[in-house]
Amino acid sequence: MKNRIKVYRAMHDLTQEGLANELGVTRQTILAIEKGKYDPSLDLAFKIARFFGVTIEDIFLYGDTAERK
Amino acid sequence: MKRNTFYLLAGIIALAEVAIFWLSVEIERPILIQIAFVLGVLLIYGARRMVEDRVEDERTAMITQKAALRTLEVFWVVFFVVSLGSAVAAFSRPLGLRPPPPPDPNTTHTLILRITEPDVLPFDLFGRFAVGQLVLLCLMIFLYVGFRVYYARKYGEWDTDEEQD
Repeated sequence: MKNRIKVYRAMHDLTQEGLANELGVTRQTILAIEKGKYDPSLDLAFKIARFFGVTIEDIFLYGDTAERK
Repeated sequence: MKRNTFYLLAGIIALAEVAIFWLSVEIERPILIQIAFVLGVLLIYGARRMVEDRVEDERTAMITQKAALRTLEVFWVVFFVVSLGSAVAAFSRPLGLRPPPPPDPNTTHTLILRITEPDVLPFDLFGRFAVGQLVLLCLMIFLYVGFRVYYARKYGEWDTDEEQD
């Protein structure tokens, strides 16, 4: 599963540490998600999407959706 | 509580446990070390909750769970095998499931041997079983740490990027 967290972070001028603090997770978790090493739970995915004010599909691209985009 | 304070406290508890173990052996009271060990573990669990800079999230929880599950998958088999072996050793002696074999009336030296060395479970077997179990527990901890390192690497625990100092 690919994601665009890095893009949205850049748009909001946020560091990994800053985003991690806002979401109550570790910086390593944000880094692991960005690198595609860890797929977040649905709960955390919703938190990330709501934090940036977008839908989950805007941030997380699943399977063939990721290839089309 | 700072993380280093916690490690210091854990070290002091470990040293105290060793001292109590020695005392327990000296005064031949196993209950002493048993109670002390449970209290020590409870104290460490309590102190760990009070560590301030310890952030635990779903990824770290998943790493812990996976490592624990893999360790359990290996060691329930190992402990079962050891327990089965010990049960067979215990039950194949008198007072177990099998009655003692009748003495051979033709050979007197066998009878003498039976009187001087009764065919009962020797005490040192319990000691060896206990030490063997402790060794297995240590191996279990090593395996758990190994699995933790493996899953931590897999889920990016030590990854770095351009934001890292």
